[in-house]
Amino acid sequence: MQRKTIGNILLLALTLCVACMWAFPIYWAVVTSIKPEHEVVTKTTFIPDVFNFSAYYFALFETNLAAWYVNSLITSIGVTIIVILISVMCAYALSQIVFPGRRLLYGIILASFMVPSQALVVSQFVLMYRFGLINSWGGIILPQLIIPVVVIVYKQFFDSVPKELREAAKLDGCGDFQILFRLYLPLNWGITTALAIITYIMAWNAFLWPFLVTNSEDMMTVTVGITQVDDAFGVKYARDMAVAILAAMPVALAYLLFQKRVTQALMLSSGIKG
Amino acid sequence: MSGIKLTGVSKSFGAVKVIHDVDIEIQQGEFAVFVGPSGCGKSTLLRMIAGLEETTGGQIRIDTEDVTRREASKRGVAMVFQSYALYPHLSVFDNMAFSLSIARRPKAEIDAKVRAAADILRLGDYLSHKPSQLSGGQRQRVAIGRAIVREPRVFLFDEPLSNLDAELRVKMRMEIARLHRQIGATMIYVTHDQVEAMTLADKIVVLKAGVVQQVGEPLELYRNPDNMFVAGFIGSPGMNFLKARVMSAAAGRLVVELEDAPGVPFDVPGTAGVPLGKGIFLGVRPEHIALGEREGSVPLKATAEFIEELGGTGYLHALTATGAEMTVECRGEERPHPKQAIRLSLDPKEMFAFSERGERLR
Repeated sequence: MQRKTIGNILLLALTLCVACMWAFPIYWAVVTSIKPEHEVVTKTTFIPDVFNFSAYYFALFETNLAAWYVNSLITSIGVTIIVILISVMCAYALSQIVFPGRRLLYGIILASFMVPSQALVVSQFVLMYRFGLINSWGGIILPQLIIPVVVIVYKQFFDSVPKELREAAKLDGCGDFQILFRLYLPLNWGITTALAIITYIMAWNAFLWPFLVTNSEDMMTVTVGITQVDDAFGVKYARDMAVAILAAMPVALAYLLFQKRVTQALMLSSGIKG
Repeated sequence: MSGIKLTGVSKSFGAVKVIHDVDIEIQQGEFAVFVGPSGCGKSTLLRMIAGLEETTGGQIRIDTEDVTRREASKRGVAMVFQSYALYPHLSVFDNMAFSLSIARRPKAEIDAKVRAAADILRLGDYLSHKPSQLSGGQRQRVAIGRAIVREPRVFLFDEPLSNLDAELRVKMRMEIARLHRQIGATMIYVTHDQVEAMTLADKIVVLKAGVVQQVGEPLELYRNPDNMFVAGFIGSPGMNFLKARVMSAAAGRLVVELEDAPGVPFDVPGTAGVPLGKGIFLGVRPEHIALGEREGSVPLKATAEFIEELGGTGYLHALTATGAEMTVECRGEERPHPKQAIRLSLDPKEMFAFSERGERLR
């Protein structure tokens, strides 16, 4: 009994240590953002001598943060809605409709998992350039719509819906779109929420592509915009941290609000059916 | 309400033919039951009528309309599935109203039709419930209600009671019979349970390996089966079959002797002209065999194996000297012990003669 208690205490201590290691960078960023710049560069303090919010004032009123927020919000919501719509229809077709080449198509979607998105950026950039979509929301959104895992997860769930439900709906007069949107989607509403949240987070956090496709500061997303917060006299750590925290805020909030769904989505996308 | 006519209907999956040139006519308002063992094609045939399976050959007519290539929703049929197939995210009301809302019918009409169907099926108190909050019997009633609301030309039931326990099955069977009387619609019902078939049907279609074996009224099939398969399938417990040899044949009668009782010739109804000495099968139902010796009956020695006791009646399972399995209906108090040597009396007037290939020798 005593050995068990000691074991529990050791385990608790270990998990606390690991949790602290995870949390420390966030704590450090927050603390740095509310220190005066001279304190940041001159000494290492875990609690600021003076609480100074000038970095936040700078981030909010002297940068393009508002525009970056709007760009991030529009592109992330756009990506989320379009990815869900495309994926749900694609997954339904792959799962429920028999057509020539169905297996091949699914194989290609599975194989596209293995292609790193970085390998596609040059061709995507050329494509967007020819479409005239550089420095536009469309240019940021379009190449981010390829998320095979969403199709695969949806297909997995649609496969498990009893076929009699689809047949009953057919007899009730439904076409495939009605079956999808009135039956399959509501039946898998939890999955849709989870996948939408994780897609939104991925789109909000995307850096490489928005960085490549935008060079006008007005069209940048938050993740790209924070790289522009510099000063003629060098790096200002407190300001950088303040902008970074403000940039991460919507994702952090989304995670806190929908923690269960995000975990479910992560499990689903890693192949564990939650 | 409408009749159905299948003419030369067949179905193949690639090179494998699963339904073979089926010809059936079901009259308007008739309750037809497709019955047969698992894998005989009865559900496939029903699904072909529903339009859920493509028909490879032949013609399906509802009323006088050829619906063979018509979409499922445009055939005017409604189907009740074995698994109920209720939409789990919708309430009972919405489940029943689903087809009408898809057809964009006015709300007042939907409400009236759903409530009328709910009254018939005594579901009025459950309209706001979700399917998961209902019992198996209630779910099945909702599935039937969903079919009623559509006012179809034909109701199709695909083993609707298979998921219910024995008691509820009997109750639901009576409900379906009552519903048929009440609305008088044409109904086709698929089951592997011959008791359900016998109790519900106006007409039974017996299927085996995609081939219609016999079509007729329940008692006609019971009393006058066309072949050994129908004779064995219809009736519970099934008919007993014994090997016999033809001694002589004349004027619709066959003089035969059982392999298990040589030297005891007797005559049974059968086709004249069967070659003498030819092996045939004789079928006799459990209720036409008595324990002990009876005058005018065919005596048979056997060994008792075990008894299925049902209270008033018991079914004795016995083995003859040649190893033929026999089931004997025992009434009254008399019950042999296992392994006890017994004598059985078979009523020759109630015997059916079948050829070696299983065809009835009339």
